[in-house]
Amino acid sequence: MSKLSLPVSVGARGSVLKDYAGLLVALLLIVVVFAMIAPSFLSTATFVTVANQVPTAILIAIAMTFVLITGEIDLSVGSVLGLCGAVLGVSMTKLGLGLIPAAILSILTGAVCGLITGFIVVRWKLPSFIVTLGMLEAARGSAYLVTNSRTVYIGEPIVCVSNASVFGVSAVFIFALLLVFIAQIVLTRTVFGRRLIAVGTNEEAVRLSGIDPRPLKLAVFVISGALVGLASIVLCSRLGAADPNAGNGFELTAIAAAVIGGTSLSGGRGNLISSFFGVLIISVLSAGLAQANASEPTKRLITGIVIVLAVIVDQIRRSRKDR
Amino acid sequence: MVNLRHYSFGLILLAFFGTSFLFVGCDGSSPSVSGDTAASPAGSPDATAKPRIALVMKSLANEFFQTMESGAKRHQEESKSYELLSNGIKDEKDVTRQIDLVEQMAAQGVDAIVIAPADSKALIPVLEKVRKQNIIVVNIDNRLDEAILKEKGLCIPFVGPNNRTGAEAVGNYVLDKLSSGSEVVIVEGVPNAYNGEQRKLGFEDAIKNRGMNLVASQTANWEMSEANTLVGSMLVAHPNLKCVLAANDNMALGAVSAIAAAGKSADVIVGGFDNISAAQNLVKEGKLAATADQYGDKLAVFGIEYAQKLLADKNAAPADLETTVSLVTADSLK
Amino acid sequence: MISRSDTPLLECRGLRKHYPGVKALDDVSFSVYAGSVHALVGENGAGKSTLTRCLCGLERPDGGSMLRDGAAYAPLSRSASEALGVRMVLQELNILDTLTVAENLFFDRLPVKCGLIDRATLRSMSVRALERVGLSGFDPDLLCSHLGVGQKQMVEIAAGLARECRVLVLDEPTASLTQSETVRLFEQIRQLRADGMGIVYISHRMEEILQIADYVSVMRDGHMIDTLEANGLQLDSIIHLMVGRELKGEMEDLRGAHDSRGRVALRVEGLRHPPMVHDVSFDLHYGEIVGLAGLVGAGRTESVRCLFGADRPTGGNIYLGESTVPIRIKSPRQAVSHGIALIPEDRKSQGLLLPLAICANITLAHMRSVVSGLPGWISPNRERHVATDYAQRLGVKCSGIEQAVGHLSGGNQQKTIIARWLLRDCNILIFDEPTRGIDMGARVEIYKLIRHLATVDGKAVLIVSSDMMELSMICDRIVVLSAGYSVAEFARGEWTSEKIMEAALLKHLGDKSSVVEGNTVNE
Repeated sequence: MSKLSLPVSVGARGSVLKDYAGLLVALLLIVVVFAMIAPSFLSTATFVTVANQVPTAILIAIAMTFVLITGEIDLSVGSVLGLCGAVLGVSMTKLGLGLIPAAILSILTGAVCGLITGFIVVRWKLPSFIVTLGMLEAARGSAYLVTNSRTVYIGEPIVCVSNASVFGVSAVFIFALLLVFIAQIVLTRTVFGRRLIAVGTNEEAVRLSGIDPRPLKLAVFVISGALVGLASIVLCSRLGAADPNAGNGFELTAIAAAVIGGTSLSGGRGNLISSFFGVLIISVLSAGLAQANASEPTKRLITGIVIVLAVIVDQIRRSRKDR
Repeated sequence: MVNLRHYSFGLILLAFFGTSFLFVGCDGSSPSVSGDTAASPAGSPDATAKPRIALVMKSLANEFFQTMESGAKRHQEESKSYELLSNGIKDEKDVTRQIDLVEQMAAQGVDAIVIAPADSKALIPVLEKVRKQNIIVVNIDNRLDEAILKEKGLCIPFVGPNNRTGAEAVGNYVLDKLSSGSEVVIVEGVPNAYNGEQRKLGFEDAIKNRGMNLVASQTANWEMSEANTLVGSMLVAHPNLKCVLAANDNMALGAVSAIAAAGKSADVIVGGFDNISAAQNLVKEGKLAATADQYGDKLAVFGIEYAQKLLADKNAAPADLETTVSLVTADSLK
Repeated sequence: MISRSDTPLLECRGLRKHYPGVKALDDVSFSVYAGSVHALVGENGAGKSTLTRCLCGLERPDGGSMLRDGAAYAPLSRSASEALGVRMVLQELNILDTLTVAENLFFDRLPVKCGLIDRATLRSMSVRALERVGLSGFDPDLLCSHLGVGQKQMVEIAAGLARECRVLVLDEPTASLTQSETVRLFEQIRQLRADGMGIVYISHRMEEILQIADYVSVMRDGHMIDTLEANGLQLDSIIHLMVGRELKGEMEDLRGAHDSRGRVALRVEGLRHPPMVHDVSFDLHYGEIVGLAGLVGAGRTESVRCLFGADRPTGGNIYLGESTVPIRIKSPRQAVSHGIALIPEDRKSQGLLLPLAICANITLAHMRSVVSGLPGWISPNRERHVATDYAQRLGVKCSGIEQAVGHLSGGNQQKTIIARWLLRDCNILIFDEPTRGIDMGARVEIYKLIRHLATVDGKAVLIVSSDMMELSMICDRIVVLSAGYSVAEFARGEWTSEKIMEAALLKHLGDKSSVVEGNTVNE
């Protein structure tokens, strides 16, 4: 049995490294291959750039992993990201709010989207696939409404967020990394996290154990939404502008990252640190392909192959361990 | 064991219905009149009825088309000489949806369709069909593939800017700031879009004119964050990069922030295209050297006016009409 | 050993099958003769399933040989074995809920006319097939999602019998059948035997085996222990061979006089939850074990689900202890807060978190006990400690407290769930089919555990079971349900199988004809 699914055993250090060994090797392999292809690839600049780019994806991958662990799915993360960014942009420019209140407003927007999704899923026992598909459309539409379909230029007031750095490393990246660890600890070391895993594993068993799974699910969607709101702040600060089209297709990237990290689409199994590696694999791959000046078709082909390969390798490793 | 015999009848049924639907699909676009027009049958407007003109755009989520639509609406309100049905698709790449839209417009019995095609080739068959119903088609923004039009003997006039010369103007202006031989990259639009290709060609012309060194040219699919990620990687791969030419302003915005994040704002200059409002701020701040304005708000209007002209004079020979593109720089915005 | 001169229909010689780390079959020889019912018994994991899977081409043996009518036989797939006249009715239901009964019966050979399904022929074929298993008057056009588990099982068996074959393998066919359905099935089996068919019959129900089988083969740990003639065989000797030790004494122990009955724990009055539960009343005291008996469809499971808040009753009152004010149980959460726990029939889908560790399963209902420091913060050490404590107390056999519960045997899984409720400090324990799918040897342990919980720990225990032997053995009192009504109550010493059966059939007037048969089935 994989240790990943035995949350209580995550404390043991030796085995933890082994859990991530496969992903680390995959990541290193990609780095080595690109180092050979693109001469400039193996440089600090590359990694600084990647570190600047990944926080948004990391935050969304955390959100997605949580949702997947409870056996649900959230397809609306991309467009909610667009909506939250739009709210942030408009409130900082047209409404003239400061960074902090605008940021809070943006996170709240995400949380409310999550609340609506979660409520509908829980109240009418609907599959989250459909409900979040609806939210995907609705949130994107709202994003266009809020921005009047125009890219909102924010500029310096928001850029300062991504410019902050600690020892030369982007502060936002460190923040995202910190959040990964916090989320992992919440998942493995708290009653809340344990119950999420339990609900994802067998919701009926949880219900018959005297625990109401509904508030848990609702909470997960709200958390997911709030994290997406946070991600939108990070994205806007990187771009200096709020694009109502932002996050198009992000849901699939986030699902891919989580799945590469061994998260089960049927719930009950997931690990935030692994999802983080999943994000890194996808991002490093895209950076490497861009540096190697690969054509668009090649990029897509290779990205697709790597995602599937990563999942196959993970599956083989898991079934070996199972024996 | 699969016994095909068991399925044979089902397969035959499926094939039968499949083909019959195809036939229905072919002549299913019989005109129907929507309520708000005077009760004149579609396709034969009597003297009192206003002509109905459909404006079919690409993504209304894109500011450019948004501007285009509002320009057209304003024009319609002022002239009141025609009825306007304006439509856009959800996603710039959603060609199928746009084809559906054209068919729906034809079915509504419009007199003319002014279209900004999402794809310069894929839309031709449906437009050919529409032309056969005597509906006037005017092509704006993104030019339909001339070779195919010629092959089919179709005459669809193009009213719009010359993206290639516009892009060349932006390129020339931006590259004049650099010494020759400097490294330049191009951020392209969606691979199969005509206007994107034209802009890329225009940039390439400028690069050749000024003797610059084109080191990479990749697509960011018109998107801001994708361009941001792409340019971030390009900056690493080409440390001596001096200039980024982006095929639209959204991508230029992404490039500007990537350059700032790499701390190279002083070394790398950026050129864009479209003159969206967010870009104007950057131009004023000097972060974006230049962009091109193709007067999006007037673009649809030009197309509509041209369609009106063709409607009024059935014998007019449709010909292409080039509209102006002007360079936008910090100086011109003052 | 069987001494017969005729060639067996199907014969295995020295069959071997290894899985990583397990010798599932080790030199197993086994023969099925024409016109006989050959029972295959053994505990879970003894190798019965592997053997039958080899016979039916679902697995390929690593060594040994198989002969069919004396000719070499090595089927590579189930369809290959079926072509050679060997057919198996699996234990798991293979019924597709979204299709009709008729479509399920003839799924792989639907009659076709002009490329369309020939409904009329299908219907008549189905009616005939259903009649063979005694389901006459059953609508073959009914969607299978409307059937109960027992009915589905009968359809499954009918599907197996509807096909031409010489050797039929039935794996636990009566697991979810009512007595009268079982009687019909046995009639059918006897008919097939008379037709010269060879039948392999796998079951945990010993009394059934003694009733129907001609030969009994006992397997244990991948070995064929012995093959005996069923005639004159004693139950105890089979169990002895299966378990490898004497259980009789241990079972006697459970029946010892226990007078630990304390004050009342729960009173149920007029519980109602149509269509299955109409009027159920009984009481339950601390320190005693009460059984709920009845046929399939009597509303036993439905009643206890209402008690536990898993379903909401539409009428009736539930009183806790001596109180005269009824309590409202709207959800399992409320039931648990009143100290009521349900150990469900289907452990895997309703009780356990299979891929999770034993300790996570034990602490699930009472995380508060393992929280330390910050609120909501699990202390892994304390959790391990608490869970190990309870696991040991209940005798859960495992390689470690972090082993996935899905890898445990049925008996140990059951103990894990019991541990969960003991940790939660629930004093009213409701068991629904507590030993379903659990080995003979482990059953005794569960019985002892339940007895201990009642007598020593003073818990109130309610047991739902279809196994009369089980109820007679451990209950202090038996309440009989019939078609949703509580119709009789017997104290220890008052009941006999006949009396219980008579009561259970009371409200099933349509089923009256099978009363006599039903009684004969049960001892």
